[in-house]
Amino acid sequence: MSLLRAEGLTKHFGGVAAVENLTFAVEEGEVLGLIGPNGSGKTTALNMLSGFLAPDRGTVEMGAEVVTRLRPVALARRGLLRMFQVTRLFSRLSAFDNLLTAGMARGQREGEARKRAAALLEELTLTAVMYLDAGQLSGGQRKLLEFGMCFIAPPRLALLDEPFAAVHPVMRETMADFIQRRNAQGHSFLVVSHDMPVVVELCQRAVCMNAGRLLSVGPTREVLKDPAVIEAYLGSGSHA
Amino acid sequence: MTGEANLWSRRLATDFRGALVVLAVTALAPLLVRDTYTLGILIVSMYFALLALGWNLLAGFTGQFSLAPAAFAMLGAYTPALLAYHLRAPLTLGLPAGIIGTAILGWLLGRVVLRLKGPYLALTTLSFAEIARMMIANSHEFTRGDQGLNVSAVTANRLGYYYLFLGLLALVVVLVFELMRSRVGRFWLAIRDDETGAESRGIDVVRYKTLAFALSCAICGAAGALYGTFSQLVSPELGLLLQTGLVIAMVVIGGIGTLTGPLFGALLVYLTSEWMRGVGNIQMIVFAALVILFARFFREGLWGFATRLRARGAAERVP
Repeated sequence: MSLLRAEGLTKHFGGVAAVENLTFAVEEGEVLGLIGPNGSGKTTALNMLSGFLAPDRGTVEMGAEVVTRLRPVALARRGLLRMFQVTRLFSRLSAFDNLLTAGMARGQREGEARKRAAALLEELTLTAVMYLDAGQLSGGQRKLLEFGMCFIAPPRLALLDEPFAAVHPVMRETMADFIQRRNAQGHSFLVVSHDMPVVVELCQRAVCMNAGRLLSVGPTREVLKDPAVIEAYLGSGSHA
Repeated sequence: MTGEANLWSRRLATDFRGALVVLAVTALAPLLVRDTYTLGILIVSMYFALLALGWNLLAGFTGQFSLAPAAFAMLGAYTPALLAYHLRAPLTLGLPAGIIGTAILGWLLGRVVLRLKGPYLALTTLSFAEIARMMIANSHEFTRGDQGLNVSAVTANRLGYYYLFLGLLALVVVLVFELMRSRVGRFWLAIRDDETGAESRGIDVVRYKTLAFALSCAICGAAGALYGTFSQLVSPELGLLLQTGLVIAMVVIGGIGTLTGPLFGALLVYLTSEWMRGVGNIQMIVFAALVILFARFFREGLWGFATRLRARGAAERVP
């Protein structure tokens, strides 16, 4: 049984099909990449998977449970954690308090959340800025902090929307190492990214979307060699 | 603020100490002030401090900009008055009914405005406030309309009322402090800063927003219920938008999103307002101008400004 399965997900905005009949699954313990050119429907798909958008048709299953209409808070409590393309932090609270609040929201006691927060800040190289308000952090630090908030309690599945976009290479490395370490421990990830070298490095499998539809799915290197995927990224005639 | 002092628990602890100092000074004021008129002004300023704390819980800590605190005070004041007028119910029943009734109404309003933000939320709560006031003003047979209703007093002793209000104020300060240092308070701050982010981290936004509405309205309702017995007359004027404007001015000038700010701001603004009566009826012009000035240049209000100065002083003392 898959950890998360999308079956026939469809979402239209007016007359535009943002996502059309999308079916794929995330397996336990894998890092799955969700790739595709701009406007291909990746974020809309992620919004439906994380409960922020109700699909017009189709279902989302988490293990044996149908979770299609559940609110984000209910999904978060089941361990489905989301990182946003544009960071969503508690900007007037310190970085440490952001992690503490996220831990308490996941049911941790304050003492436990404090220990986890301190350890995560160190692992993500944010200890030096732990007392600064989240709103005062740089773009990369904000990404790292939101990333850490997903892991204050181990998630069943982390949905990461463009985690590496506009992030300094050193921070990108920190994040990629973190994902690899957690994946080696059996944690599962769905990573939406435009950064192909990182996708190849991290993701065992990839799903490629174009114009709201599933274009290709399989081992990452094979998906990237798929002529349909190359055409979607580079335009027709590019593989001739 | 820098270093550990910027942690929420530290900021809140400093804030609470500031609030205790304001409460202690207020408790000692009757040693210097003996005349009933001045005591009366201090009592009204404590009534406004309660409204300011209630509104700040919703707007300052949870980020829900309601325009109905005065309306809930009016509803809290009318509940014991109407129960006594129609059912001859004693205040021992009427006062708790005023608090519980406004909490339930606040919870319902919270559910109605759940998905609204910014100006839409403000306009909806304003509409609710005006509808409530107009209904009371126009239901002559049920509420006696603009004539108002008489309410019996809890005590004939003005000093007794002074300490009753102070006791309620201290209770609310401690209650808000305890809530803000618990996970409930943290979740409110998270909702204030980013509702979507809060929900995605596993915070039940619906539950905590409606809880904030219910508690905030109950505090305003409690203030109104006690004030009604003090003035011994309740009328629709209690719910005027002007009163809400005064509450907002108190919180913004004192320091929104803090404990001490609304408390200190309410006492300062109301006492200044009374002092300015002698100059002419220009209080609202002055306070509105001050709100613009604070919103533009001192968003953290007087309390935030004072703590920033204190932190800077401490940093300069470090060798």
